[in-house]
Amino acid sequence: MRYLIKLLAGLALLAPLAAHALDGKAILEKVDRNLEPESYESYRKLINIEPSGAKKEFIVYTVKKGRDKVVTLFLSPASDKGRSTLRQGDNMWLYIPNVGKPVRITSLQSVTGGVFNNADIMRVDYSEEYNVETIEEQGDLYLLSLKAKTGNVAYDKLKMKVDKKLTLPLEIEAYASSGMLIKTLHFKDVKDFGGGIKRPATIETDSPLYKGYQSIMLYSGLKKRVVPDEVFTQGFMPRIEELRK
Amino acid sequence: MKHAAAILTLLLAVAVPAPAEDFSFDAKEFEKKTFEFGGYLEAKQEALNQRPDRSSYALTYPNEASRNWLYRSTGTLELTGKLNLDQVVADLRLRGLYAEDTFVRTIETDKVMEGGVRWSPQQGLSFDAGKRVMRWGKGYSWSPVGFVERAKDPSDPQASREGFVMASMDWTRTFDGPISTVGFTPLIVPVKDKINGDFGKPDHINPAAKLYLLAWDTDVDLMWQGKGSKPQSFGVDFSRNLGTNLEIHGEWARMADVQRSYVDGAGNTFSRTENINSFLAGLRYLTENEVTWIAEYYRNGSGYSSIQLEDYYRFADQATAPGASASLFNKAKNLAQSGYARSNPGRDYLYLRASVSEPFNWLYTTTALTTMVNLNDGSFQITPEISYTGFTNMEIRARAIFLSNQRHTDFGEKTSSQRYEVYARYFF
Repeated sequence: MRYLIKLLAGLALLAPLAAHALDGKAILEKVDRNLEPESYESYRKLINIEPSGAKKEFIVYTVKKGRDKVVTLFLSPASDKGRSTLRQGDNMWLYIPNVGKPVRITSLQSVTGGVFNNADIMRVDYSEEYNVETIEEQGDLYLLSLKAKTGNVAYDKLKMKVDKKLTLPLEIEAYASSGMLIKTLHFKDVKDFGGGIKRPATIETDSPLYKGYQSIMLYSGLKKRVVPDEVFTQGFMPRIEELRK
Repeated sequence: MKHAAAILTLLLAVAVPAPAEDFSFDAKEFEKKTFEFGGYLEAKQEALNQRPDRSSYALTYPNEASRNWLYRSTGTLELTGKLNLDQVVADLRLRGLYAEDTFVRTIETDKVMEGGVRWSPQQGLSFDAGKRVMRWGKGYSWSPVGFVERAKDPSDPQASREGFVMASMDWTRTFDGPISTVGFTPLIVPVKDKINGDFGKPDHINPAAKLYLLAWDTDVDLMWQGKGSKPQSFGVDFSRNLGTNLEIHGEWARMADVQRSYVDGAGNTFSRTENINSFLAGLRYLTENEVTWIAEYYRNGSGYSSIQLEDYYRFADQATAPGASASLFNKAKNLAQSGYARSNPGRDYLYLRASVSEPFNWLYTTTALTTMVNLNDGSFQITPEISYTGFTNMEIRARAIFLSNQRHTDFGEKTSSQRYEVYARYFF
């Protein structure tokens, strides 16, 4: 009887701790949903800045559906207009109007040059690609350490600083499997996009591999939208313009 | 020469870096337009070190004096227009060209490269009629399954090509499970009088079809072209990513009852009807230091062995020698046109390309080294190349092509031994 009382007392003492334990997976899923609805359309401006200050800009229209389907269409500059990319899970394709057929590409290549690679431009949910290894609290931040679920993910590990109050990322460091830091993403300028979407409108990226270079991603027109699955197929890549209103 | 140089200077003058501005962005600036217009202007300059002692030179430039160098200037204007209606899209791509070299001046003002109307009643279904470039296959440098298209130039596989007039339907459905996408594209390519005259024999409808599957994360296409202007053909291709930096692909094609011309060691010409099997296997690999390798092996079923090619080159030497009869010359010319003078007349080829994006952190610069080897006779060509896309809407590319020189081999018998080329292309 005494043992039972001790056991119950012990469990009673541990209960508040268990209730307070951090659920990294839930936090990561909330980060995903706070960044974007699961299915949405958006416009982005990608800016590559050289050490000299020279810039090159791309405008892309993006539609995402579910956890792992993304298409993008390049609207500008004229030299890239009409190019489109498609992602279905780990599969990625590039369609160039003059080439006329979708060509498989890999996540570490870059269709725009600069610091952003294809995985950055056609990003799917973090919780789709990563498991939370550790989570800790540091003042107003959660510090998440993420590990890629498979070898097909562009970055092997991510270290994510999350704003506790907004549950939005402030900074993400991306590492290769060798442990080398590949790039750092800085999330800035939290903006209300309407429809309950409030997220950073600017992502700045720099990389020790491209010293002095910077790439910036600006968001606009982000809103919930659900399109048929047939949009996310190779045959539709020349027709993505039809989705724009 | 002067014209191209002037256009080149003008294009480079336009290519100033974009002025600095703040990082603001409003999607409303990029609303969809009912009518869109675009295109590019290109100036190209080439210098070719000729081989006047080769039979290919005499067959290409009959009755012309021997020249060691040939200079060619080309100006190209390509215009595209698109009308976006609700379910209907009409488009047109026109090309105008002015080319001048030592031997000939070419002016093209109204070439329709592509154009037609597409009706899409739903996302997974569309109907299309017009002049279209229907590119089939997964190969980078060759596509044995490209049954309904003009052959690509393996020295410049991404160059713009002209379409054929056709009518097609495209049906696509997606599913849950290992076969996630199925697409079906039946089409007809009519050949009659002035329509698609260079596709094949006239007065045929030429049905063809492609079935596409995305199955177990692998692209698979099954292709068929019915007997008509060209022999009946079947094909299959695939492509798959094996990792974040590795893609593999392959193609296999079979053409039935193809008429092929031959010349033997004694100079006798004859033709045979054969079934032809061609295939290609390739990969694309991105290394940790950002080098992209493309490697492809191509088995050209309609190609000739090194001995058969040597027999032809010896025969062509006799046919183009001083004092040779006109009939012998014409016989050699007919043989050349029947297949011996194609850009890749051999049987087995290796294509290897190593390209580095942004070497030494030179943003928007790509350097590449490409080689194509005839594995039967060991002859080859090698192409160093550099391109730059850092100026807004401008692409500049310079390259040289060096060919091996051994007589009576594939690349050793081409009309030129070296080629230097530079172009600037301005998009608008």
